[in-house]
Amino acid sequence: MEKIKRRSALTSLGALSFGMAVPTLSKGERLRAPYKLVQQTLKTDILVIGGGTAGVVAAIQAARAGRKTMLVENGSQLGGTTTTGGVNYPGIFFAWGKQVIGGIGWEMVQEAVALNDDTLPDFSIPHGKNHPRHQVRLNGQLYAMLIEEKAVAAGVQIRFYETPTSATFQKGSWTVQTVGKGTSTQIICNQLIDCTGNAYAASLAGFPLLRESVTQPGTLMFRLEGYDFKSLDLKLIKGRYEEAIQKGELVKTDFRNNIVGLLKSAGDNIQHVMGADSTTSETHTVANLKGRSSLLTTLRFLRTLPGCEKIRLADVQNETAVRETYRIDGHYKITHEDYVTGKVFDDAVSYSYYPIDVHDENGVIPDHLKEGVVPTVPLRALVPKNSRNFLVAGRMVSSDRLANSALRVQASCMGMGQAAGAAAVLANLQNKTPLDVSMKDLRKMIEEHGGIVPVSAQKG
Amino acid sequence: MRSWLSIGLLNAVILAILLLSAYRKQDKIRYFQSQTIPLKPDTIQAFVSQFKDDAGNDTLFQVRSKEGYPVSYFRKIKTSVCFDNKCRLLDIVLYWNVTGRYLGYELPEGEFLSKTEHEPFKPAEYARLNDLLADPFSPLANYSYEELVPKADLAASGLDAVSSATSKNVLDYVVEGAVYTTYKMWHFVYGAAQKEVIKLTEKRLSPGFLLQVLESQDSSDKIWALNHIRGQVELTPALRNTVLSFIDNNRFNLAERAINALSPTELKSDSLQKMLFEKYPKANYSLKNLIVTKYKEAPHLHSSVKTALANALKLANGELLTNILDLFKQHRVSDRETGRIIADLLQSDNNFLAQKAFIYLKSANIDDQRVTEQLNAYKTKHHL
Repeated sequence: MEKIKRRSALTSLGALSFGMAVPTLSKGERLRAPYKLVQQTLKTDILVIGGGTAGVVAAIQAARAGRKTMLVENGSQLGGTTTTGGVNYPGIFFAWGKQVIGGIGWEMVQEAVALNDDTLPDFSIPHGKNHPRHQVRLNGQLYAMLIEEKAVAAGVQIRFYETPTSATFQKGSWTVQTVGKGTSTQIICNQLIDCTGNAYAASLAGFPLLRESVTQPGTLMFRLEGYDFKSLDLKLIKGRYEEAIQKGELVKTDFRNNIVGLLKSAGDNIQHVMGADSTTSETHTVANLKGRSSLLTTLRFLRTLPGCEKIRLADVQNETAVRETYRIDGHYKITHEDYVTGKVFDDAVSYSYYPIDVHDENGVIPDHLKEGVVPTVPLRALVPKNSRNFLVAGRMVSSDRLANSALRVQASCMGMGQAAGAAAVLANLQNKTPLDVSMKDLRKMIEEHGGIVPVSAQKG
Repeated sequence: MRSWLSIGLLNAVILAILLLSAYRKQDKIRYFQSQTIPLKPDTIQAFVSQFKDDAGNDTLFQVRSKEGYPVSYFRKIKTSVCFDNKCRLLDIVLYWNVTGRYLGYELPEGEFLSKTEHEPFKPAEYARLNDLLADPFSPLANYSYEELVPKADLAASGLDAVSSATSKNVLDYVVEGAVYTTYKMWHFVYGAAQKEVIKLTEKRLSPGFLLQVLESQDSSDKIWALNHIRGQVELTPALRNTVLSFIDNNRFNLAERAINALSPTELKSDSLQKMLFEKYPKANYSLKNLIVTKYKEAPHLHSSVKTALANALKLANGELLTNILDLFKQHRVSDRETGRIIADLLQSDNNFLAQKAFIYLKSANIDDQRVTEQLNAYKTKHHL
């Protein structure tokens, strides 16, 4: 067999070289036949699409529960918004003095903190205006490596640089076609978890999606250095900034019309890329181009300001992080009212804790939750209507826009990821669809893996 | 290079006068937070540093208890607060507790604080200032002096600075009409002097002193004390008991710091290992993992802890199981009893658990026929 292949390859090379100059080969070089894309078929119990904040947790949960698990990620590393997006403060895990999100997400965060000699915030300080103090700051790249190590150790088969192109359900199995760098793969699985952040797999599967006419802006994270904020003449700088906007040299919405905020934050979560959408290669390309272009233009402008002549870019992320795209139309849609009243659903599988946090062109004014309120996520919000053997976890959870503005944050996505992973495991083991899994079994599995489930946790 | 100057005995009389004056409450405007650490003042020691600020002097006074423990600190501030092209004297004494938290302020006899147009502070404004200064997370930390009050066009005014309305964002964090005074005082409280307070306290750490700080009702004081045990003071039986008492599901930060406070040297002690393990059954998943991980620092693993953890393996999952097996690997656990418990996991329906058990047993060399048979059966089943 091998001989035949080699012979035919040499024959084709001979044909190719006919009439052409014979290439000169250096020592050790060999002529190789062109790479051929080979279609392959793989089977797994559970397939997670998207290795971001929720997806990596879902995959680790599924694999640690003993199911054969595959994770498809279209980028080069795990962690999504926390790592590639550079929003490396995945809070909030504690609310009103108690831990509300634990399990695999917390394990990963805690380990990253310890390995970087960072310290955890004092979670006993009140929320409200001190809400940012509850954020756990991480070394994003270290975190990416740690979670990858954990996924591999759990037995998750990671497939980087791949994206699905179709998803069809037949006879109790999903068939997902993916393409990647030099790969074309058909993955057959029993349970499918969409953690793309954009409900992309749900869309390919044909489930209706929800989207706002205007979505929240995205942000390219970066870090400026080389200036002393406290010594700047802010009055003058503001004037020059306004002038540049009036002249059309700068765009008002790129930095929330807030040059002082940009200089004060040194680039931390201040840029706004209007209309940023990570759903497809094309839309994400646009978001990246816009983010980088506005940053470069603004950087050049900053260097013309007194006191900022030596300002420089210390770091910039590889892509624009995105806040909002599509959500599924699930069996239950979490409403703003549910969220701010902390409704505990009968099928609650995880907590979420964050202020209502809608960014617009002017910035964001978080609407904090009342004391003691801790919202919950029902399993039904993770399951698209009319679906079988299909779950989502992360910001595309079925919810209205205001609820989603809080549910979308990373710790909440981790909680959902663990719940979705556990539900998929039980559904796979019991040959059911996730909504038919017993809540008692589901709670038990999540808790056995360190997760915190609302009702049972409250009962102690 | 920073130089320290301790005032000698000769100055004791002067210090006594200072002490008396610092604590004389009559005729003085004083606003204080509640003293959360139960220590009584006895003597005062003065330390000179180079603060490189404009407080008017570089002396920091340390109030001590009879036992010689730090009780609090104070610094006399005499500086100018400038705004609207005018400067006014700020004469005040600032106080810190032993962990560097703001404690209060006191004005010299006859002094008072005033707002713009020389209007004196009202009692409610003094109280508000006291509360504002007590907020270590105040955004004032990041405001520049210029941001506090938006200024009119400088070129038009011909002045360096002309005040107008206080910036809206700032109002929540300042006494209205005393923006610069609040700002300046906040920065004195949380500036170089605070760092020196902490350094001075760190020079006088002892188990007895830390026990007192751990009595504080303020969680940041407790965390401070827990962070200053490991490698810095001896873990006496009393301190050990107190530290362990913080391992509680309802106070994660304190529990995490308490576990962190135990050093490898102290973990030599079998009794400490056993006492720590008493916390394990009631601990939540996060704390269980922290406790197991802590035993990795111990030079040896006490047999009762090892047996209990081996039994815990029967119900463990995910991270906890991995952590216990990692701990056993580190301590080279290879006894028959533990080996058999781990070998039973080879038959688990959960491939993850079975595989973890296999990896462990493969390198543990457990001399037991039953374990060997189970290992061989696993290899056959999985074609290994």
